[in-house]
Amino acid sequence: MADIDTSSTSSPGRLSLSNFGVWGTILPLASAWLVLIAVTGAVRSDFLAHQTVLAVAFTMAVVGTLAVGQALVAISGSMVDLSQPTSLILSALVAVRLLELEFAVTLAVAIAVLSGAAWGFLNALIIVYGKINPVIVTLATNFIGLAALFLVFQIAESPINSSFRAFGLGSTLGIPNIWWPMVALIAVVGFFLPRTRYGRRAIAVGGSRFAAQARGISLPKTRFAIFTAAGAAAGLAGVLFACSSGPFTPSGGVVYLLPVIAAVILAGVTLSGGRGNLWILLLSVGFLSTVPTSLVFLGLSSDWQAIIQGLILVVAVAIDGYEARRGTR
Amino acid sequence: MAHRPARDLLTGPVASITLALVVVITVGLFSVGPRFLSASNISIIGQFLAIPILVGTCAGFALLAGVVDLSIGSMVGVSAAIFGTLLINGWDVLPAAAATLVVCLAFGGLNAIAIVGFGADAIAATLGMLTALRGITYVVVEHWGVSGSLMAFHPGLFTFMNLSLWSLPLIFILVLLVAAVATLVVIKTRIGRHLKAAGGDERAASRAGISVPRVRTTALLISAFGAGLAGIIFVGQIGAVSRLTGFGLEFQVYAALMIGGYSILRGGVGNPAGGALGFLVIAGATNILDLNAINPYYVNIVIGLLLLAAVWLDRLRGGDSYE
Repeated sequence: MADIDTSSTSSPGRLSLSNFGVWGTILPLASAWLVLIAVTGAVRSDFLAHQTVLAVAFTMAVVGTLAVGQALVAISGSMVDLSQPTSLILSALVAVRLLELEFAVTLAVAIAVLSGAAWGFLNALIIVYGKINPVIVTLATNFIGLAALFLVFQIAESPINSSFRAFGLGSTLGIPNIWWPMVALIAVVGFFLPRTRYGRRAIAVGGSRFAAQARGISLPKTRFAIFTAAGAAAGLAGVLFACSSGPFTPSGGVVYLLPVIAAVILAGVTLSGGRGNLWILLLSVGFLSTVPTSLVFLGLSSDWQAIIQGLILVVAVAIDGYEARRGTR
Repeated sequence: MAHRPARDLLTGPVASITLALVVVITVGLFSVGPRFLSASNISIIGQFLAIPILVGTCAGFALLAGVVDLSIGSMVGVSAAIFGTLLINGWDVLPAAAATLVVCLAFGGLNAIAIVGFGADAIAATLGMLTALRGITYVVVEHWGVSGSLMAFHPGLFTFMNLSLWSLPLIFILVLLVAAVATLVVIKTRIGRHLKAAGGDERAASRAGISVPRVRTTALLISAFGAGLAGIIFVGQIGAVSRLTGFGLEFQVYAALMIGGYSILRGGVGNPAGGALGFLVIAGATNILDLNAINPYYVNIVIGLLLLAAVWLDRLRGGDSYE
């Protein structure tokens, strides 16, 4: 695996987890996931069954796809995209409405993904020409976007008995269909980001925008590319969401925002930019998606998942902060 | 910079938000009529604004010190859930309130340990706390409540919340007093100068002998205390707690604070009076739409546009330019 690291805080000499490079993120995450599986399996042997794989993979699909968009935004130094709840539902709604008009599935899906990309482009327009921080811009556009969606529809659902719906509820090789596009997206983006000129520009801008500018990289162009790509990822997530869930409301995407950001942080993508490996998202998303199913098997209500996930995040960022502080001393 | 009074009037930090309030009141008087400024209408707005202004005033201390506390919305929820549960189990109001506030301060202390002690990123750490506290609220409300809501009506407390003074809700006047005192503290006292210094330039502040960790810890505790108190007021006003009490409040509060002149990205700017004006502008706009029977979802569109306009104005008057 290629570790991308342009941040200045990691020095090779210090003794800490980050000395192991990308493995310093992978090993604790993978061990935590394995411990969780082992403990739940030890208490309830029926946990280690195909049903569990189905449930976890189903949860992973939308979260993982959104996480790719969120990770792109973070790696390029724009911190977070708080408007993902809007782009997700916008795309889902576009897909549903087009299918109701009997568009071909592939065309409907393509236009839905493009609508997500268009939303990201709109964010970039305001960020670049208003010269306003992305966190504030996406906070504002999410207020505006969700309100606009509420004005347009109350509840929507992909057509029952359509092939679109059948895809969303079916599975291939024993794993839900909607899981595969997510994995493909993470694999492809994770592969090309550190290996292509455009990807490396995005990382360079995240590492230090002044250094990137000095090297002749255009900040506006990079921002447009990143937010449009992130919007397209959210658009794809909207399609997966629409085909796999029942009726949804305009606020149906709100619940995903925080778990997705948590997954990105756990995967070692620093919010300040310049560092991160997308492939690790598979681990962090998988780990976080296993928590709810494990809790149910351990006899705790699913309400406990928020407590556990929140504490995991606090501990993870505390350790991360501690490591970074030791590194700069 | 040259002294340009006309431009300063339009773009100065508190001037623009005051101007916005004047615009809202003018639009309100024209579109709604004199009843827009009637005591009964202002009472309705005030009753509704008590909690956001209290939460915003206290969270503003954290912003000034340069640490964003995202956990305030969930803190209101968990405080309301704990306080409601204690009331249900026969506790008196004062001990229940004290115990609730102690718990909230402990959660605020955890935020401080992660952020100040370990050096965790404030947004990420308080995002985790936001999630965890929401989970605790779920668990408490499910355990002691009935079908997703916890009934904790307290007649005495309810009466107190509905007391009036000069035909305005007493609780609203008290919260405005808190905001006024907080403004004086920020503008006039040494504590306020230390806050702004710690948030504005951490290194310069340390060199000047200010203990930045202590300032930030205090600010995070104040933020938690305000949200905890707001949860208690919520139970008094509404008499019931749901799983989603306070959900998303953090976004509303920070939007209003930024409209009022704070910045979530750099510490040391803004003051509680500006923040309170930000809430009044949003509430006034909401009220105009309500009274004209316009779909309430337009309110969020107005908030979004106001937020962009406020930050853009901030940039024009020398704030952060994002390039």
